[in-house]
Amino acid sequence: MAGELESCKPLSGLLSGLAQDAFYGHPGITEELLRSQLYPDVPIEEFRPFQAKMRGILKSIASADMDFNQLEAFLTAQTKKQGGITSDQAAVISKFWKSHKTKIRESLMNQSRWDSGLRGLSWRVDGKSQSRHSAEIHTPVAIMELEIGKSGQINPELTSAANPPVFAEEDWP
Amino acid sequence: MLVSGFRSRTVVRKELEWFPCVPPSSVKMLIDFQWKLGMAVSSDSCRSLKYPYVAVMLKVADHSGQVKNKSFEMTIPQFQNFYRQFKEIAAIIETV
Repeated sequence: MAGELESCKPLSGLLSGLAQDAFYGHPGITEELLRSQLYPDVPIEEFRPFQAKMRGILKSIASADMDFNQLEAFLTAQTKKQGGITSDQAAVISKFWKSHKTKIRESLMNQSRWDSGLRGLSWRVDGKSQSRHSAEIHTPVAIMELEIGKSGQINPELTSAANPPVFAEEDWP
Repeated sequence: MLVSGFRSRTVVRKELEWFPCVPPSSVKMLIDFQWKLGMAVSSDSCRSLKYPYVAVMLKVADHSGQVKNKSFEMTIPQFQNFYRQFKEIAAIIETV
């Protein structure tokens, strides 16, 4: 049912759903879910290649991090292709990319970050104090708590450093 | 900056012994701070990544003097906040 697929109303929703799956890693966004929610009257055999085409277009745009000139040129080329997209669909895709570009790019950057990230930082400065061994300790100290971890994981780290800063290279056994 | 440079193990242990307020076992001393400014150009999920980042390697010593490396990455905005925090600490430490 080509007419149904050409309708632009559900296309925006489809692009959102495809972005959730392809870029944000949200689970459970199946082909069947998208079809039943957005194109309920389109049989799955017709919906499948259509959503694959839209997914491919979205991935190409995101992968190349297209600016608006590149986007226009790319989408125009897609409208001229055999089995490509309509100019109305191109307009919907263009509008979608313009409003989601930053968020999608951030998500892709996160996917490429494999080392731990700095999740949080808090600190305290201690002034003069006493201890069992010394009557008065003159050096103010900064204590920092760094929360270092991959997404969903936090390893708080308590670190301190003394003042004044010293760059003396002493013997390291 | 609050980096104390290279220190021998015995110096580190001595300094940690008199650490006030916080139990010595939970606090580590910052021995060294190494950094790298990198640019991720491309990846399998994004051909045109162009993502600058700051990678930091902290060398910390625990109460017994044992040294460990801790590394992490920051985006540029995260690094700018990190730097601002250090500036604030430095300003306050001057007044203590």
